[in-house]
Amino acid sequence: MNAALSSPDMAAAEGETWRVAGQARWRLWEDEAVVYNGRTGDTHHLADFAAWVFAALCRSPASAAGLARESLASVELRSGETPEAAITRTLDLLRRLTLIEKTRPETER
Amino acid sequence: MSEQTVYLRLGPFTAALTTPFAEVVEELKQLYPASFFQDRAEFADFHVALLPGKGMHRHLRKQARFLIDGQEHFKPLPADQALALVEWGLNYAIAGLAHHYLIVHAAAVEKNGRVAILPGSPGAGKSTLTAGLIHRGWRLLSDELALIRRHDGKVVPLARPVNLKNQSIDLMRRFAPGAVFSAPAFDTVKGTVALMRAPEESLARVDEAAPPGWIVFPQWRQGDPARLSPFSRPAGLVEIAHNSMNYSLHGEDGFELLAGIFADSFCYRFSYGDLNEAASAMNALAAA
Repeated sequence: MNAALSSPDMAAAEGETWRVAGQARWRLWEDEAVVYNGRTGDTHHLADFAAWVFAALCRSPASAAGLARESLASVELRSGETPEAAITRTLDLLRRLTLIEKTRPETER
Repeated sequence: MSEQTVYLRLGPFTAALTTPFAEVVEELKQLYPASFFQDRAEFADFHVALLPGKGMHRHLRKQARFLIDGQEHFKPLPADQALALVEWGLNYAIAGLAHHYLIVHAAAVEKNGRVAILPGSPGAGKSTLTAGLIHRGWRLLSDELALIRRHDGKVVPLARPVNLKNQSIDLMRRFAPGAVFSAPAFDTVKGTVALMRAPEESLARVDEAAPPGWIVFPQWRQGDPARLSPFSRPAGLVEIAHNSMNYSLHGEDGFELLAGIFADSFCYRFSYGDLNEAASAMNALAAA
């Protein structure tokens, strides 16, 4: 593991995988996203890093650590945060909006 | 005052208006073509009434009340604002009842087979821009409510008189000297208002729906040059959703409908300060 990605949160989250929630409908345009949440009826505009994270999860489910690694090569962080902190904050935001959800581990299926 | 009932064509709808205000009926006849105005109809989508005030107030100042299916949704207004009350009341009836369309608070004008949807908050210059464009080669579909057909995303014409306010009234008298205007109503909640009759060509083509090609968010600012700036589609879609009367009623279908429209349209912010410049910029956009 990259030394920059070895925080306790990341290590704990390494096994957790996130995906776009089943009730979400979306379009990705011009590095931004618009997402309809069928559970709440809300429509969200995602820009910048949040749009990048959402678009990454649209392509395939991913862990926080995996997203942080991918972000190093793909996106420039303007907030001054570390990739891990930015991923943690953004996943939390998207989770609270119920736009993403954890995938179930194999043992629970 | 004896009541009469007239049937008024409003795009795809027919409204039955019952009123004893003969002067309002006469003004409506000036604002709508004869073919839109009937003494009889087999069916009316809306049954509305414009009636005199009741209670003590009517002795102090003559008032007008507007009813939709017998229900009074507004406070009475002074009788000299009765025509404006009818137009606002008809918009309210359409917005509240025509849920088989996605209804957006926006103007809509067409040129070269494509529609420009012009959403705008009050004061943004939406109606003024619309009034100018329809006298510079664009077809009026609506100045207030864009009706979007659910099965194909086309905008259905609701060509009616254009609502103008305050300094826009004199501006349009100069810009389109041949246009027909109602008498202005003073001291309304929106200031001075007047209605401008829709051009004949727009009324003649009221059955022709057309697909959107542009979503343009206008903003009038005195002295601004006319400038179209590309605008994010996701941001534009959210703004249109907020400007819709019934987006939430349509749920996921409403989102997919708007998403399809934005995928096939260009999206702009449009600042302008001069109506001639604005019309030239929009004409160049339609020609591109």
